[in-house]
Amino acid sequence: MRISAGNLKKSDFVNFQGGICQVMKADFYSPGKGSALMKARLKNLITAKNVEYAFKSNEQVETLDVVSVDMQYIYKDQENLYFMDERTFNQVSFPISVVGEVSRFFKEGEKMFVYMFDDKPLTIRPPMSVRLKITGADDAAKGDTVSGAKKPVTVETGATVMAPIFVKVGETISINPETGEYTGRV
Amino acid sequence: MKIQTTIKNLNNYKIYLQVEKAVHEFMEKNNYLKIDIPVLSPALIPESYLDIFETEFNYFDKKQKLYLTPSPEIFLKRLLVAGIGNCYYLGRAYRNSEPNSDWHNPEFTMLEFYKLGVNYLEMAEEVIKLLQFINKKCHRNDTILFDRWEEYSVAEAFEKFAGITEEELFNEKLFFKKAKEKGYNVNKTTYEDIFSQILATEVELKLGVIGYPTLLYDYPKQMASLSKLNNDGKTAQRCEFYINGLEIGGFCTELNDYKEQEKRFISESNKRKSNNMINHTIDKGFIEALKYGLPFCTGAGIGFERLVMIMANVTSIDKLKLINIS
Repeated sequence: MRISAGNLKKSDFVNFQGGICQVMKADFYSPGKGSALMKARLKNLITAKNVEYAFKSNEQVETLDVVSVDMQYIYKDQENLYFMDERTFNQVSFPISVVGEVSRFFKEGEKMFVYMFDDKPLTIRPPMSVRLKITGADDAAKGDTVSGAKKPVTVETGATVMAPIFVKVGETISINPETGEYTGRV
Repeated sequence: MKIQTTIKNLNNYKIYLQVEKAVHEFMEKNNYLKIDIPVLSPALIPESYLDIFETEFNYFDKKQKLYLTPSPEIFLKRLLVAGIGNCYYLGRAYRNSEPNSDWHNPEFTMLEFYKLGVNYLEMAEEVIKLLQFINKKCHRNDTILFDRWEEYSVAEAFEKFAGITEEELFNEKLFFKKAKEKGYNVNKTTYEDIFSQILATEVELKLGVIGYPTLLYDYPKQMASLSKLNNDGKTAQRCEFYINGLEIGGFCTELNDYKEQEKRFISESNKRKSNNMINHTIDKGFIEALKYGLPFCTGAGIGFERLVMIMANVTSIDKLKLINIS
């Protein structure tokens, strides 16, 4: 479907200069002379690179029907992450270098969404939050009662995050995988 | 749109009030007269890129169209002709078809001021003094120093950040060719639009990010608006300034050649008609006033909320307000 760039909104998928991109940010901007602009940050789903681009607000942009398909994360090797569509048993893989840091928080067997366009898998849709068990943490030092004090903890996928000093090994915590921040105790 | 009230932003709102107070103080100290303007006007200056809000005054069968003022320029320039001297307005302005975003609302606050006897580059010194004064009064931002400008001419900035040479920038044919090579859509478009696109995409984000506000000056004459042209025949005496990649304000030596101004009004008015924009009454009195002659002066406009965003160190306008319409 073709729409005016002025109607672009966050999360839309567009064809931008031949690449499939997701709109991460779109803000209307009037330069004071000439047409108004739509300043957008676009993330290319294949290369994971962000680009900034100012569209004329009346410029036509092709939006794409990208769908999210439920898949299971099965394993990774040195280079790739492997997922399986549980209905068809088809496997797909994505380079770790493209998926990025979020993959440090993926647990084998977990369900995740994969973006598909024209039946072709593009990339994974990072979950908003993951729940992982703590496998390694130092005990809080006695007397360290400063509010907001943090310590590094290791979770079951092997990743390390900063968490409040009161959490212990064996507890489950929630993490925002995109920022790597501790968000709460579960 | 709906009304949202919050007192969560109280600290930021107090910074807003401090900056407002500092502006009034600076203006008073430097002999600018504060001008109060009507919000509703029966006529406006034709501007092809501004959509306006229209309303109607009713009294029995008497009706008259009124418009929310998109800028105080129309009133301040009439007063300048009448001999008011240095003056300023700090208050609301209204622009339609410009949706809410992090850095703009259709109802926004504008600081506009005019100084007699100075050109755009002399005004740059006044503006940096104003920024210094506000920052000192509010003690807010220590990530940006306001003791000098980082300066680029438009040609320098396009060369440095977009790889467009001076020759390409000032030659429309070469400029379109270069833009096309860069992947911009150059069909059915104008020099002004491509210029704005490249500026917004490749240049602006690099401005005002090294710890000083950036002054961008000498715009191509196609972007002159109501500013005087330079003797080089290619550029206009217009500046904009940026902090953290965001345009905060601009100023220009005001065009005071009445005939040239009338020509630009007619062309702007025709553009409004062909774009099916609201056909508002044109303020003929304004044109008459200009016939008497606008004194030699420079006018500056600053997006007041954007300036406060910098001082309060927030990234969107709604964080400055207790009441948001969005």
